[in-house]
Amino acid sequence: MTCNSRSFFSGKFLRFILAGVAASSLLVVANDTPPDRIPSYVEWTQHTIAAASSGDAFRGMLLAKRCEHCHGSEGFSPVASTPNLAGLDKLAIWKQLEDFRARKRISPVMGPIAESLTVHDVADVVAYYGALPVFSDPQDNRSFPQMRSNPDHASVASRLISFGDGSRGIPPCQACHGPVAYRPGAASLMNQNSEYVLNQLEAFANGSRANDINMPMRTISALLADNERHALAEFYGSGMGLDPNSSK
Amino acid sequence: MNWKKLRIAVLTILVLCLIPATRYYQIDLPLLRFLQGSRRVNPLSLHLSGEFVENNLGTELQSDGSVIVRMIAEQYLFVPHCIVVPEGIPVHLRITSADAVHSLALSGTDYNVKVLPGIISEARLQFANPGEYKTKCGEFCGAGHYAMRSEFKVVPLDRFPALRAGGRATCDVQ
Repeated sequence: MTCNSRSFFSGKFLRFILAGVAASSLLVVANDTPPDRIPSYVEWTQHTIAAASSGDAFRGMLLAKRCEHCHGSEGFSPVASTPNLAGLDKLAIWKQLEDFRARKRISPVMGPIAESLTVHDVADVVAYYGALPVFSDPQDNRSFPQMRSNPDHASVASRLISFGDGSRGIPPCQACHGPVAYRPGAASLMNQNSEYVLNQLEAFANGSRANDINMPMRTISALLADNERHALAEFYGSGMGLDPNSSK
Repeated sequence: MNWKKLRIAVLTILVLCLIPATRYYQIDLPLLRFLQGSRRVNPLSLHLSGEFVENNLGTELQSDGSVIVRMIAEQYLFVPHCIVVPEGIPVHLRITSADAVHSLALSGTDYNVKVLPGIISEARLQFANPGEYKTKCGEFCGAGHYAMRSEFKVVPLDRFPALRAGGRATCDVQ
């Protein structure tokens, strides 16, 4: 037995093993292909959609108390650079929270908050914000912290939102962000804060936000001119021109 | 001569001739899937792994000097939006859809590559002259269909970035 094991670990066999280890380590060194760049771990399967839309809105309301400081008590944020969450599509908020959790969308504020939530908590919070009314209370005379909208910009923005720009290959915003059609994970922008919209368009354009699956927003934002990004932000911030009071 | 056998043989040949047509026309999807087994891909997880992860898209130089172009067609964009290819070099196009049925049509020509979700469509192209070739979606795919356009930028060989095999070129290089 001892003789047998000695022959096993010495001589040709040992050399063969050592050569194999050396060769494989060389292969590892030589294989310098970069890892895949994954924008988001979210995959819109039926299972994902069911998990994201199965939350309990009442429990979400209790959990969302800690969100009120920035996102407002009715889901309308008092800070222009913070998004309004009232009435947003459930899948849209769910995807962003998942991306914050996975550090695919980087935010020093939202990262730790999202990490502290469980999968169930996320679904509950999303159900609550998704159920909030889209329009703010007409009795409530808050002025929303929007940019002053430029009348010249309104026509640029409404054209881009309804028709896009075929000659440059820019699809209309409303084909994904509503009201004409939605795609999974695309947020309704109708009541979004203008400064937030502008910040996100610029972040997509320069690549500092890169969590859009198959890069639609990075592509489109990079195609838009600077004044068009401003115009879109102002127009969405003023309720798509529908509610003149909200832009005061 | 056994006429019955001949008739069966002729019919078999006809059916076999029809099968390649399923590559271009959506005649029979299950049959198409069976025949194209190795070219199947999950349209929902293109971004997670495999050939169409985002750092693998665009123009890549092959070791034999030809060029491979990988693209995703999605509502309502071709990604990458601009493709740079060298003039006179064989281009192997591999394109798949992330959602609906699209097609990549080269404007001003009859050339049209059908793009179906779940299947990698392939085409062999060769551009004789440099220039900007506009492409558009040739299959109605939804509300933003008519704005779904992109371009192939064909550059002379000396202006194409010098790459080693596996290297990638983007439109903003030059």
